[in-house]
Amino acid sequence: MYSDGDTIVAAATPAGESALAIVRLSGPLCTGISEEFAGDRPVLPRKAFYGAYKAADGVLLDRCVFIPYPAASSYTGEDMLEISCHGNPLIVRQIVDDLLRRGCRPAEPGEFTRRAFLNGKMDLTQAEAVQDIISARCEAALEAARRQLDGSVGTAVNALLDKLLHVVAYTEAYIDFPEDDLPPESSEGPIAELVALQKAAKLLIATAPYSAMLRDGAKTVIAGLPNAGKSSLLNALVGEDRAIVSAEPGTTRDYIEERLLVGRHLLRVVDTAGLRIGAGEVENKGIEKSLNQIEHADIVILVLDSTTPLPYREVPEQVQKLSNRAGLIVVENKCDLPDSVKLSDIMPDAKHVRISALNGDGVEELRGVIAQTIESSCRVPGQDDVLVSARHAEALRSMSDNIALALEKMRSHEPAELAASDLRAALSALEQIVGRVDHERVLDLVFSSFCIGK
Amino acid sequence: MIGTELEPYDVIVCGAGHAGCEAALAAARMGMRTMLITGNIDTIAKMSCNPSIGGQAKGHIVREIDALGGEMAINTDTTAIQFRMLNESKGPAVQAPRAQCDKKAYQFRMKHVLELQPNMHLFQAIVSKLHYSAGKVKGVGTTIGADIYAKTVIVTTGTFLRGLMHIGRNKTEGGRSGDFSALTLSGSLKEAGIELERLKTGTPARVIGSSVNFSVMEEQPGDERPLLFAFYDTRGLPDDLFHVEQSPSLDLAERLLFHVEQGRGMRKAGWLPGSEQLSCWMTYTGDETRRVIMENLQSSALYGGEISGVGPRYCPSIEDKMVRFANHERHRLFLEPEGRNTDEWYINGLSTSMPFDVQQKILHSVPGLENAVMMRPAYAVEYDFAQPTQIHAWLETRAVEGLFFAGQINGTSGYEEAAGQGLVAGVNAALKVRGEPPFILGRHESYIGVLIDDLVTKGTFEPYRMFTSRAEHRLLLNHNSAELRLGEHAIRFGLMDEGRAKLVKEKIAKVRNWTERFEQIPAPGGRLGDYIRRGGDASPASADFHALSASTRDEIIYRVRYKGYLDRELKQVEKLSHIEKIAIPQGFDYGKVRGLRNESRQKLEKHRPETLAQASRISGVSPADISLLMVSFVSRNA
Ligand SMILES: Nc1nc2c(ncn2[C@@H]2O[C@H](COP(=O)(O)OP(=O)(O)OP(=O)(O)O)[C@@H](O)[C@H]2O)c(=O)[nH]1
Ligand SMILES: [Mg+2]
Repeated sequence: MYSDGDTIVAAATPAGESALAIVRLSGPLCTGISEEFAGDRPVLPRKAFYGAYKAADGVLLDRCVFIPYPAASSYTGEDMLEISCHGNPLIVRQIVDDLLRRGCRPAEPGEFTRRAFLNGKMDLTQAEAVQDIISARCEAALEAARRQLDGSVGTAVNALLDKLLHVVAYTEAYIDFPEDDLPPESSEGPIAELVALQKAAKLLIATAPYSAMLRDGAKTVIAGLPNAGKSSLLNALVGEDRAIVSAEPGTTRDYIEERLLVGRHLLRVVDTAGLRIGAGEVENKGIEKSLNQIEHADIVILVLDSTTPLPYREVPEQVQKLSNRAGLIVVENKCDLPDSVKLSDIMPDAKHVRISALNGDGVEELRGVIAQTIESSCRVPGQDDVLVSARHAEALRSMSDNIALALEKMRSHEPAELAASDLRAALSALEQIVGRVDHERVLDLVFSSFCIGK
Repeated sequence: MIGTELEPYDVIVCGAGHAGCEAALAAARMGMRTMLITGNIDTIAKMSCNPSIGGQAKGHIVREIDALGGEMAINTDTTAIQFRMLNESKGPAVQAPRAQCDKKAYQFRMKHVLELQPNMHLFQAIVSKLHYSAGKVKGVGTTIGADIYAKTVIVTTGTFLRGLMHIGRNKTEGGRSGDFSALTLSGSLKEAGIELERLKTGTPARVIGSSVNFSVMEEQPGDERPLLFAFYDTRGLPDDLFHVEQSPSLDLAERLLFHVEQGRGMRKAGWLPGSEQLSCWMTYTGDETRRVIMENLQSSALYGGEISGVGPRYCPSIEDKMVRFANHERHRLFLEPEGRNTDEWYINGLSTSMPFDVQQKILHSVPGLENAVMMRPAYAVEYDFAQPTQIHAWLETRAVEGLFFAGQINGTSGYEEAAGQGLVAGVNAALKVRGEPPFILGRHESYIGVLIDDLVTKGTFEPYRMFTSRAEHRLLLNHNSAELRLGEHAIRFGLMDEGRAKLVKEKIAKVRNWTERFEQIPAPGGRLGDYIRRGGDASPASADFHALSASTRDEIIYRVRYKGYLDRELKQVEKLSHIEKIAIPQGFDYGKVRGLRNESRQKLEKHRPETLAQASRISGVSPADISLLMVSFVSRNA
């Protein structure tokens, strides 16, 4: 068993008030600690018992439920103890502090999972999923990670593998059994199957950005002309003064990034330098960066100063380009000022929200619009959808690319050995996800589908 | 006297089939004092099943054997009565030569080669047991009471280990129709710690040609310009041993009796391999065949439950085909001549374990065979084999040092697969005697390497046959490049004479140079390389190029045309090469590897791979598992 001899402890539930909180321990001290809280009662594996949590100095901290897990059946493959206490952050902190005094040490992020992985309790994909669960910063990410832990990615990929193996078996049968009495070879069936495979892979691949978005947050770029109130909006959304605000146009030269939760989604909000023509050199660099940010954004919030309808009639080209971009929200800022006017004729297809970054009017409404926009424009998958990681997407893309090469050869009737070579490359791309595929599987398919042999 | 405890042979080979002959020749050619023991000197290199050599993947192996200085290719060329190139439309890497051989001529010539081989003793005796002490082999005992001692022993006993033949429910002991069965050697091997299992294979009936109505069958002639197996551009046409000649006519009245031309007259007589080819004939089973088979299914040894060994999926009996592919109206059969000087014909496609009387009915139900007179019935044979996960990649057993296995005892099927292993075993026995490191062929350089690696890594549950699809680097293994891939090994081991070695080295250099030059030579629309890849030919190349041997030119064009593909495969080989070199220590404790999934650990413990690359080829073992193993080795060595 892998162990560094330490007993690690951490709150297993997120910080904040809730009905219950769980503190988790893993390592050799668990048995002793369980026995102490059990008192006269025997400690039975996986059997919960209720008792008083008294700190080492005798102070009663809470009444808790204790569940001991012996190494053989625990998550980490070491002795473990779970303590459920009341969900008061203060109690949780006191319990953890007490356990530290008893010789435990705080767990590093993901350490429980690492121990489980190192003790052979899970494979890499599952470990990745658990890691995602732990680091899930929003509800949507959590759901996705749970699905991956269920093995739904494996199931989806294995379905692709089965389809691909059928095409490979078909092609190989005609190569390896030239003297056998096979039915006339047709490339139509395999071509159709390969095209279908590509489509299926494409759907899976398309979920990868979303899983990245779940992990890192939806990238939300605040853009607009100088002095429109972009930095003020960032501060309003975050709820503290994060960005420098000033009446001087061109204040923000480089971008600033902040994370925040909107509904069940995590956002990575980026404040950018104002876009305008004829700026100074330093500012130009900033503008270039802003444009680059916009290009990679999931959501763009275009901030307009509603008190100065002009020069928005002559908005710079870069801003005009935004108008047919998915995920665009137009914010008409400074609605608190008397000379504020409606700007609904600017980029009329986009959703408009009137706010005041200064006094907070409309900011709540904006949050709602942001959440809606994420769900509609970022193709949020449904409950049952499989989300693939970037690593899986890479393998699937490589499979698809090789299938494309094979299709090219099949359509132009090049020697079958070449298409077969591409298909093999496609297969080994999938092996990156599912592990080695025994060639016997191909042969089994060949022998069960064709009457071969003399 | 040689063969005593004091003066042992270097190598004893038990069994003179296709594996044994190559093993003994390779060892003797490497200067080993070699004894080849066979139960019957009249059945050396006997083709127990079909009278053909080569075909898909097998043809590749035969050419590799020639590249490694073996005998099978040239023996086939000089005794073949038909040549055909298979798969021409599927591309150069997967096309394969196949030949029909004169079975007797094949045996006679091979026997003569063995007789002429210096360092070789041929001896007729049945090996009854293995002598070993302290885990090291010492020699063999024989049923004539003589013990023969050697530093290494290669067992190539084919289907003879406790061979049991079935015709319907009738059982006869024997490794082959008309031959004996090695009854006691199995026990001796088990005692030495080798586990044996059973396999099954079969062979169809033979009929006399004069009773066959060929006029209703479709003729399948040989290729007009046959491609031979051996590389004559480096080894020169054979001018020594005999060949067998006869008029190819099927008409008995016109047919001359055969004569054998012997000695150094082959080329003088104007005869070349590929001359005077004979045809095969094609027919199909009929409705009546199905009826007969379905009516008598219970009397089949296979369906009647008499046979316990597992038969090969790729070689189903006719009853198997009828049952499993009930929707097929008919099944194709080939009639293949067994030789020039005999009227015996082999019926390819009609393997069966039915009793004799049913076999007769099946035979007569086939169009063209209504009046066929059977000369030998079909039979199935069951025999012992040793699961090949018990041997190293150099074919030495893990249980007994100095003991090597090759051929069907390792669970393979086919003359070619056997011969390839025999050659490798012979080389390795010699290296063992010399105290040199073993010879392990890579998967990227040969089908023989793929074959042995599959066997020792995964084992087998049916007689293992080679298919091109088993090779992941198939495009690197085109038959024409065998000499370029393997020639250097043969030179290193002294399996090639100096004259050929020089020509092979030159050929390797020419192919390399010209392949590069093609990217420079101007051609319509750019360079010759691109021109060829766009579908052009090599005509813009200089006369120098066109003066090269055909095999050399073909290979250059192949490498130029397939450049992108070959580069891709070479890159993969390169990527794998470092883990090919990482050896997993014997008895390695996978339980100590942090993070290894239990499922993977169990698989690795079962298969006991010898290198990390072998481990990576075990099904279900993931790239992540391999990374973990690698990390654990690195940290161990650090
Ligand atoms: N009255 C009013 N003033 C605002 C509002 N939002 C921003 N301002 C003011 O507008 C000026 C510019 O605000 P910033 O947030 O710095 O604008 P910016 O878009 O970040 O400007 P640059 O970084 O220079 O491009 C400041 O003086 C803000 O106080 C608003 O909603 N109402
Ligand atoms: Mg700013």
